[in-house]
Amino acid sequence: MSEKDQADLAAMERTEEPDLDRGMFEAWAAKMISNPDRAYRATFYVATIFFLVTTLFPFYWLLMVALTPRNRLSSVGVFTPGGFNPGAFVEIFTRLPFHRYIFNSFLIAVVATVIVLFVASLAGYVFGRLRFRAKNALLLGVLVTSFFPPAAFFVPLNRLFNQNIDILRPLMQDGSLYNTPYAIFIPLSALYLPLSIFILMTFYSQIPEGLEDAARVEGTTRLGALFRIIVPLSAPGVATAGVLTFITVYNEYFFSSLMTDGRPQSWAPMLEGILRFQGEFEVLFNLMAAASIVAVLPVAILVIVAQEKIVSGLTAGAVKE
Amino acid sequence: MASVTLQDITKRYEDVTAVDDMNLEIRDGEFITFVGPSGCGKSTTMETIAGLTLPTEGTISIGERDVTDLPPKDRGISMVFQNIALFPHMDVYENISFGLRLRKYDQEEIDRRVEQAADVVQLEGMMDRMPKEMSGGQRQRVAIARAIVREPDVFLMDEPLANLDAELRVHMRTQLQRLHRELDTTIIYVTHDQAQAMTMSDRIVVINGGVLQQVAPPLECYNEPANRFVAGFIGSPAMNFLEGEVVEGGFESEYTDIDFDPDTHGVTLGQDITVGIRPEDVFLEEDSHKAASPTKAFDAVVDVLEPMGKEMNAYLLFDRDVEASAEGRGEGQLLINLAPDTTIQEGDDIRIVMDRENVHLFDQASGEAITHSLE
Repeated sequence: MSEKDQADLAAMERTEEPDLDRGMFEAWAAKMISNPDRAYRATFYVATIFFLVTTLFPFYWLLMVALTPRNRLSSVGVFTPGGFNPGAFVEIFTRLPFHRYIFNSFLIAVVATVIVLFVASLAGYVFGRLRFRAKNALLLGVLVTSFFPPAAFFVPLNRLFNQNIDILRPLMQDGSLYNTPYAIFIPLSALYLPLSIFILMTFYSQIPEGLEDAARVEGTTRLGALFRIIVPLSAPGVATAGVLTFITVYNEYFFSSLMTDGRPQSWAPMLEGILRFQGEFEVLFNLMAAASIVAVLPVAILVIVAQEKIVSGLTAGAVKE
Repeated sequence: MASVTLQDITKRYEDVTAVDDMNLEIRDGEFITFVGPSGCGKSTTMETIAGLTLPTEGTISIGERDVTDLPPKDRGISMVFQNIALFPHMDVYENISFGLRLRKYDQEEIDRRVEQAADVVQLEGMMDRMPKEMSGGQRQRVAIARAIVREPDVFLMDEPLANLDAELRVHMRTQLQRLHRELDTTIIYVTHDQAQAMTMSDRIVVINGGVLQQVAPPLECYNEPANRFVAGFIGSPAMNFLEGEVVEGGFESEYTDIDFDPDTHGVTLGQDITVGIRPEDVFLEEDSHKAASPTKAFDAVVDVLEPMGKEMNAYLLFDRDVEASAEGRGEGQLLINLAPDTTIQEGDDIRIVMDRENVHLFDQASGEAITHSLE
């Protein structure tokens, strides 16, 4: 046992100093000072409970609102619903094709994630594993792109996507990208690419050079080594980048609402669907709440599936052996 | 099986020349070892053969094919790496069969070859282990199996034993020699350990500072080193060097002189030369009959004795005023091998002789060998 440990122990034994008459709070503070572990534990619980309440309570309350029948919406309590009407969860699909909205968002998010992971893998490989001139300048360039607010890109992109481009005519109706999923996932992929590039760059740079060399000698190209060796070994990083991209694109509203006219068949996203329950004379909060809960499910499932990888990716990423 | 030819290979990084104008012909079926100190360019040379690095200049052929611009996978080579480089997310079977699967062999052929390769390196029954569940020696054997399973023309081994413990290293050394005998394939082996180079190779290639020093069978490098670097690098403990000048009737340095006829040994009067003598070629005066042709005796002081069991190393000083250098053997110091039962003590004054047959002379300016015997 080191000298320091012994000193600590001595301090722990000397918990009370009887000659001082302290108030309750002072005594509690003195205990914390002599035994810091208690203080750490207490802080941990306070922080955790605060965090859980702030994140989970809105969900709980959404459920309460969703269960409240439409005509009693004004009497939703803080902890209890104003009635019991699980029918809202069915009604969201009958009143509107809400499943189509979810499908739209889901598909757009999947496509964007695949594009982002593919391109970011290539970029991450180049930035993380190769040495070349102007690497830092390029990397900075990538970073700078992500500094712009998405709104800065909106006007030019909107003009572009509303343009009738003749070459696209055989592919899509009237040759414009407006009201197609392309108008959503192309800009979104580009916007969320830098973050993924940074995550993957860090991971890919950790994979020992020898493994890539071995793969290349064994018969892969550089690309083959990337996708057969480096990517599988960076699974936590890839999962992290993938899930972050998926969630952001799935929840994205700004581009997705402006690049479509809001009808489900025009690839309007899930958020647009939720807002459609807001009529001209009445806002159907119970349906909006039910729709929100349903819309969270795909992401929740994805995160639970990928959880193990993400956690190790977020925490252990930088020091991977 | 194939020969390997390096022609004018130069590899320059921004301001460093890692390999300088290397010309080398490696024969079919040969076990050849690149040896040199760390950072001498031996690994870079191997990487250019493997295709992992492209040479700045020069051409490489394997067999009759010019492979200079081919990617590693098309060169007909396989490689064992210093850090073993097994794919951690694949089990032993997947690691060994990786190259075969990429080349789309049929499953039956893959199984047959994997089994055969595993048999050679004695890995039967471990096919579904993951690399992290294996010991260093087992991993190394998997790496070797992965290399031999494709039946390549040339094997490249980059310090494959460096990360193993001493006992295993000696064991694997003999394993590799056996493997070479069985496969009869060209093996190019890189090491900084001259003992591995000496024991395994048909020929060794000594490299220093990116420049080829000598290509010769191990004993030739030992007995007839081409220059002072090879003389000092090959052999352990290393050769002793004495710096001096050619004078009338022989060699003279600050501490000693050796008589020989300058005219018949290719030196000129006044030339600065270095005398090299291996520790085992120096004897006590009373043992001078062991030398084929002893020089005249000279005085020395015993500084440190190292009993090694089968022999004894004695560090000598030419006189009591010499300061023992902290950085290796300095001027005025001499290391000799003695029989283990020699009865001398540290601090004794002794008289020693050298064996003229094994005295090497090097030109001091160029380092080139002048002669390997004063007879």
